[in-house]
Amino acid sequence: MERANTLSATIMPPSPAKRRPAQMLGYAMMAGLAIAALGGPALIGADPAKQSLLATLQSPSIAHPLGTDHLGRDMAARLLSGAQLSLSLAFLSVITAGLPGAILGVLAAWFGGWTDRILGAFADAVLALPGLLLVLMLAAISPGSWWALYAGISLTLWVEYFRYTRQRARISLAEPSVEASRMLGLGPWLLVRRHVIPEIGPGLLTIAAFGAATAVTSVAALGFVSVGIRPPTAEWGVMMTELLPYWREAPFLILQPVACLVITVLALHLSVGGLRRL
Amino acid sequence: MKYSIEVTALTVFAGATRLMGPVSFQLQPGGTLVVMGETGAGKSLIAQAILGTLPSALRAEGEIKVNDRRVDQLPHVERAKLWGSEIATLPQEPWRALAPLMRSFAQVKEAHRFVAKRQAHEATQATKKAFEALSLKGAEKRLPGALSGGMAQRVAFAAATAANAPILLADEPTKGLDAERHSKVIDLLAEVPQGGGTLLAITHEVSVARRLGGNMLVLRDGELLEQGQTSSILDAPSDRYTQSLLNADPQNWPVSAPSHIGKMILDVKNLSVTRGNKRIFEGFNLELHAGEKVALTGPSGIGKTTLLDAMAGLLKPESGAVARDGSLAKHSIQKLYQDPPAAFPNRVRLAHVLQDVARRHKTEWSEVLQTLEQLAIHPSLLERRPDEVSGGELQRISIARALTVRPKIIFADEPTSRLDPITQRETLAMLARVADENQIAIVLVTHDKNIAQKWADRAVSLM
Repeated sequence: MERANTLSATIMPPSPAKRRPAQMLGYAMMAGLAIAALGGPALIGADPAKQSLLATLQSPSIAHPLGTDHLGRDMAARLLSGAQLSLSLAFLSVITAGLPGAILGVLAAWFGGWTDRILGAFADAVLALPGLLLVLMLAAISPGSWWALYAGISLTLWVEYFRYTRQRARISLAEPSVEASRMLGLGPWLLVRRHVIPEIGPGLLTIAAFGAATAVTSVAALGFVSVGIRPPTAEWGVMMTELLPYWREAPFLILQPVACLVITVLALHLSVGGLRRL
Repeated sequence: MKYSIEVTALTVFAGATRLMGPVSFQLQPGGTLVVMGETGAGKSLIAQAILGTLPSALRAEGEIKVNDRRVDQLPHVERAKLWGSEIATLPQEPWRALAPLMRSFAQVKEAHRFVAKRQAHEATQATKKAFEALSLKGAEKRLPGALSGGMAQRVAFAAATAANAPILLADEPTKGLDAERHSKVIDLLAEVPQGGGTLLAITHEVSVARRLGGNMLVLRDGELLEQGQTSSILDAPSDRYTQSLLNADPQNWPVSAPSHIGKMILDVKNLSVTRGNKRIFEGFNLELHAGEKVALTGPSGIGKTTLLDAMAGLLKPESGAVARDGSLAKHSIQKLYQDPPAAFPNRVRLAHVLQDVARRHKTEWSEVLQTLEQLAIHPSLLERRPDEVSGGELQRISIARALTVRPKIIFADEPTSRLDPITQRETLAMLARVADENQIAIVLVTHDKNIAQKWADRAVSLM
């Protein structure tokens, strides 16, 4: 049986060949979004806040490639500005949630005992509190502020990294190979670097991508219900709210922020699709 | 003449590459065929071709007849009808073949009920009888996880033979069993031809082949080397490879030269260890001298590994003491593991692993390379990850890794039990050589009494 297994493995490598194109598409979309977010409205040289009440709800034209909204502001510029805001927040919250989450997870797995129990209880307490509630609370303290949103999202997201890392690191650290490395005299840093990080890395990247997608959706959802970022800032959720009354006259306008949100989430999910198999 | 299995020019291909064959043989009812060879020799492919379970990427050519009926052209569904009723298989590592959430009686009864197509009460009766005959009484209600290896083997045997299939295919039936259970399983298999059945057994062990007798095929890399009566091949092999397989059987090893024994470096006194609430052993004494080779034998499950861990200082003993000689540095005790891939971080290249250790102990890299050369490991292998080299190579690399620390004592926990006989012999010989050159004491845990007698300076038997 063993022989047959190794054979079929060498003859038909179970490479995620089918997933590759989807993943490449994901990367391409991510690259596009990154350019949009880094460049912002400056890319097309238009001001997202400049109103022109004589030219409201216009169809796409050369001057306004994606048309104008109900106050005559350039849609393309506003979408780009929204991308800047959403993606920067997603990126930052992933880093500030991911790093402490993963580090605490490794610490809990490494020390076990009381360290593990206290950190675990803390994580459970955060989990017991609905994430939305936490964000709403912070938003109430400081309405419409980018920082409140960011802190709230980051505080709810770290638990996932913590729990994943703790679980996987515990399994890795219990393996005989760690015992062997310890007997050989390798220190804690090398043990973590050689045994734990290679094991949890791909999984953490996946969580990070999904976490970023969650963050982007949360910002838009909070904006849509007028809790998050306030107008006149160009934010996708806020834009949806603003443009909703005009869906009959100019349906293509409301579809634009929705499409941006879908594309961003899709890009994040597609680009980690292949990684999940590792 | 009626044959149970008649195979003519069976060849297995993967695409255009030939993996195995051509082989031809006939087996009559009451006959035995032993297929012998190392891992990767294509032994299992023969059984899979007869059953019709070859992986879809492989293609078989030639003619296979089962009970005078040509089966190799039959569609898969038709072939599956033969399973259990005409051909039964005893898989490798049966505890993996049993359904983990089904009690053993129910598993065997299921086979009687649905494969042998008996009425429910008849099936119960037949299962009871089978459990009695195989001395499995008391195991009826147990889940496979709670069965010992030997019991699981017999439960699998009872289920496989429920429908009285006249042909039994046994793929490495003794893999992973200790000496005592080993012989019980062979007794069980030897009864098949005596009762008029046909047995096709696949093994890499010379002792199994000898006990089963009949005819045999010797395969190497898919190539048929020898074919004929088992006893005559084993007594007078005509091929050099068969000879080396025979030599690799621990029974035929020459007794090793005694080591140069130095002063005492580890003194184990009155050691007792418990695991959970169970006392595993008590009052264990051992005096270990530099350069000495000690074998520790005993049936599986007795706690040999636990004892080793306690002596290595990885486990706190309940009572007793392990006194290290003052000359021993902190990392002077090293351990070799039963499953080499489990002893390496599995996503890291081997060069990194060795470099980490060399850097930590300020061992020159050239010295590491020299050790590897002594162990016949080509440095290019270090560019690979642990799962990309063979088990034998990896075990030798782990010996090299341990030597980088300049140890005084190596505890080896069945380091060769998962290796092929020839590799096992080479690996243990190399281990003995480097130990002798560096005055390292070795405690080798093994379940093979022959290895203990032939390889070690002295053997300590547990129980």
